[in-house]
Amino acid sequence: MAHAAFYGIGAYVAAIMAIKLNCAFGVTVLCSIIFSMFFGILIGVSTLRIKGDYFVIATFAFQVITFSILNNWVGFTGGPDGIPGIPQPVILGWRVTSSIGFLLIVGGICAIIIWGGHRIGNSPFGRVLKAIREDEIFTQSKGKSVETFKILIFTLGAGIAALAGSLYAYYVSYINPTSFTVMESIFIICIVIIGGAGSTWGPVIGALVLVTLPEILRFVGLPNSIAANLRQILYGGLLVTFMIWRPRGFLGKYAFQNREARK
Amino acid sequence: MLTQLILNAFISASIYILIAVSFTIIFRVVRFFHFTHAVIFTAGAYFVFFLRMELSFPFLIAVPTAIFASALLGCLIELTIYRSLRAKSTPPLVMLLVSLGIYIVLQNIISIAFGDDTKIIRSNLITEGFNLFGARITFIQGLTICTTIILLLLLVLFLKITRTGKAIRAVSSDPELAAISGIESSRIIIWAFAIGSAICGLAGILLSFDVGMTPTMGLTALMMGLVVAIIGGLANVSGIVLGGLLLGLAQQLGIWKFGAEWQDAIAFGILLGFLIVKPQGILGKNTKKATI
Repeated sequence: MAHAAFYGIGAYVAAIMAIKLNCAFGVTVLCSIIFSMFFGILIGVSTLRIKGDYFVIATFAFQVITFSILNNWVGFTGGPDGIPGIPQPVILGWRVTSSIGFLLIVGGICAIIIWGGHRIGNSPFGRVLKAIREDEIFTQSKGKSVETFKILIFTLGAGIAALAGSLYAYYVSYINPTSFTVMESIFIICIVIIGGAGSTWGPVIGALVLVTLPEILRFVGLPNSIAANLRQILYGGLLVTFMIWRPRGFLGKYAFQNREARK
Repeated sequence: MLTQLILNAFISASIYILIAVSFTIIFRVVRFFHFTHAVIFTAGAYFVFFLRMELSFPFLIAVPTAIFASALLGCLIELTIYRSLRAKSTPPLVMLLVSLGIYIVLQNIISIAFGDDTKIIRSNLITEGFNLFGARITFIQGLTICTTIILLLLLVLFLKITRTGKAIRAVSSDPELAAISGIESSRIIIWAFAIGSAICGLAGILLSFDVGMTPTMGLTALMMGLVVAIIGGLANVSGIVLGGLLLGLAQQLGIWKFGAEWQDAIAFGILLGFLIVKPQGILGKNTKKATI
């Protein structure tokens, strides 16, 4: 439940470094990833003993605290007003100004991440992760440190979220805390569940569906205030529907089932 | 100053305790985090608003009807959605996500119906307040504290004495043993939802009388209730009362020292601390690990 927190940390670190320290695009992105990964390790290590639902609540707590800091530490993060005027990124002397340019960069990085995710999934490291998903105690008995793997993957996830956050900050050039609320975390969960957890392409499909559906709603021509609510109703409704009828999502392999139920 | 601070702590603690107790009753029998509870809190307040301000019923009719409607809403969610999922032995994490989804849907329906702005129930109940040991307290705030104390006593009596209350405790502590003893758990779960939702709706009504209502107030309130419930170990009433007072005092001290905007961070900092150091709650005993 804390993914939007890492996403937000990434965005804020990138924004602050780009404006106050005038750092180059690559440096800020890298720093925001490292910074967020550091938090990932911190949260991962401290919440390791917390299991299941309680872990969800603990990450939820981290999310709320992060939002609270972004929103209230006015001197550093600009508080509710956010940070305006993030400069356009310059990559190898090429100043990215158009949306198409951004699409190319973000699409390229996204492709690399998907490829990397796929590679990890099929590597020995990925096999251990799958084993942990299926049976923690068994994996432990085979001499793999479940805890180390959990912290590693949690940290990696935090880093990727920060990468997304820093790209977002550069793209919209203005960030404020409302983009990184609990609702955003829930939205990310919706993407994963609807696309299908435990598959490389699942989240891609999930994101495509959840981003394009509201655009269709826009054609219906509803007033703006209701449209925002309807979009959320749509997300909530989809989440419930998928959990009831297709818990594994469009492409997922992991069905969120009890071990007894799977047998 | 200090008396006012303590009094304010008691007022906010009362609301937290009501939410935490009602949440725990349901949690203990269904064993998952029922996030939809947040919207029942909101719905209670909006039911009163609708009945009182738009249909202009008197309070004596509007408030009990709203409490009843909250209970009904809770039971309805259980009957239509949770029950079929439970039959498929759905894991708690999925139930949590489902309840979150229902929360989002219902909260946005309230937003569309009433708008996102703060609604206030105008009443002659709002007076200037009176003095209590040098601190100011309004009628509603006094009522909130008294209602909480009376409700807690009634609830403890209900759980200890009546047949249904005992059955709820039985299902809470061991569902299989309860089933063997001939307790029909589905009936008990409905009871738990009815009682829990009614208390939660009432808490929403009390808070809305004091500070008004917005469609998202439920989630904030439930988060605080959740903090209190977890500090209380998601178990007994006395732990929850202690947790509520602890959180109330900590927040008031925080407001005094740092400012009101850090309330959430303080509450969730305490929660994280408890989850990491003492996940079994303030009164919980250290249990030996018995997993597998």
